[in-house]
Amino acid sequence: MAIPMLEITNYKFEITNSLDKLRAILRRDLLTAIRHRSGFVVTLVGVFTELAAFYFLSRAIGPGFRPGGIEYFPFLLVGTGVYTFFVMSTQAFLGAVQEAQQTGTLEVLMTTSTAPAELVILSSISAFAGNLVNLLVYLFAGVAVFRAAIHANFFSCLAVLFFSLVIALALGIAAATLQVAFQKGSALVWLLGSGLWFLSGTMFPIQSLPRPLEFLARSLPLTYAIDGMRRALLQGQALSEMAATLAVLAGFGIILLPLALAALSLSLQRARQNGTLSFY
Amino acid sequence: MDRIVFESVRKIFRHRPALFNWLGRERGGETIALKDLSFSAQLGEISVLLGPNGSGKTTALKLLSTMLLPDAGSVRVNGFDTRRDASNVRRQVGIAVAAERSFFPRLSARENLDFFAALDEVPRPERAQRIKDVLRDTGLEEQADTLVMKFSSGMYQQLGIARALVKRPNVLLLDEPTRSLDAAAAAHFWSTIRGLARQQTTVLLATHNFAEAAAVADRLLLLHRGELLADRSLGDGESAVALRSFYFRMTGEKEFVIGNL
Repeated sequence: MAIPMLEITNYKFEITNSLDKLRAILRRDLLTAIRHRSGFVVTLVGVFTELAAFYFLSRAIGPGFRPGGIEYFPFLLVGTGVYTFFVMSTQAFLGAVQEAQQTGTLEVLMTTSTAPAELVILSSISAFAGNLVNLLVYLFAGVAVFRAAIHANFFSCLAVLFFSLVIALALGIAAATLQVAFQKGSALVWLLGSGLWFLSGTMFPIQSLPRPLEFLARSLPLTYAIDGMRRALLQGQALSEMAATLAVLAGFGIILLPLALAALSLSLQRARQNGTLSFY
Repeated sequence: MDRIVFESVRKIFRHRPALFNWLGRERGGETIALKDLSFSAQLGEISVLLGPNGSGKTTALKLLSTMLLPDAGSVRVNGFDTRRDASNVRRQVGIAVAAERSFFPRLSARENLDFFAALDEVPRPERAQRIKDVLRDTGLEEQADTLVMKFSSGMYQQLGIARALVKRPNVLLLDEPTRSLDAAAAAHFWSTIRGLARQQTTVLLATHNFAEAAAVADRLLLLHRGELLADRSLGDGESAVALRSFYFRMTGEKEFVIGNL
């Protein structure tokens, strides 16, 4: 009996330690964000400017355009909100890795008692928490200020959000891997930023694309995340109605996250071997 | 007991020029940083890696801290291999690196130390007191709540030392730790380090400053171009002057004394 008890105690110790580390990382990021006072104001102004632009764009297009039976402004609100969440989370995470390389913090972080993979996951949770708040502010402002009509199913929204987080985490880790291995993490962010927005149904339904591009769009996790969130938040679809979309999102998460973690672990090992951990 | 063991360690850095480099002059090649380096350091001993720039001192410290992995041979701390048991090695080792801008600029000294102490698994109830202690020991008490973006290079260096000490490591690695410190701060620092050694902390210091090395070391490990030229114990009756002559003769460095300048 002694060994299982010992294992349980160790397990509890590990979880307590991890929660303490997460608290430290969240505190660091919150304090840094608060002390960049102008950053808050700029973000807030950016949110309202973007929403106003989409609101007037949808008014200019007129009420006749209802992709998938959804009014165009809420369609845009969810599409751009989820898309921005993915890109900004990846960007924030990559930015943190790049900054750590430039200041020399990355090497020191790798000498602490925290395993690199744990450190990366905890740091990414913090990066995503900030962007999740931004997404919620964005959606709330769209509903409260610009009167976007929503009909949400809470559990479906939560499920889509959970799987989207897992996929965004994998993309963030992939960008960090590219940065550590080739100092080119920004390439993935560029791809997300410039290449995928029009393929993932952010601003118009993917059915408008030519067949080969529509086929490509259906192979992207972002397409399912955006579509899933629209159906959960705007059409109130229940979990049972969204089973297929959730299964696809879960599949992407199950495949991408372990792959990204394995690639990061290899790239860190290679960087320690070659002495390139702080190269940028 | 050997706390630190280097066994036939070889480390080579390979340089690959950029892919599209026909316009530039970058060349490929390799730098042999360490050539079959072997030495060990005991419990509570202050050992100094002494050598000119490029002799492999910092590489040796980085290998011990697991920032780097050896190409051949093995590096062990308290019996744990840095390649196979990196996480156990990291729990034993604290390092104060030369690049002292490795902090979060919009956090205060205390907040930075709290962050790194959490990652180093310093128990939370003890953390505040330990941070207070190391801030006092490194002379940063008055700047504890100042954002580190306002620090001078000397203060960064003191904070780097404080960060290495807060986890109370069994093995303390110091890379040119007093380079930016004034004489009083350096003297206070060495008194703290001697105190730690008396409490069984093994200290490995990398420096090219012979006078400092001779003043604090129990052992001198003379490195030159990645090779260990000599391993001398200062308790062996050899005078610092003789060692100094030996160092300059072996490394081929020019020896200046104040009168010659």
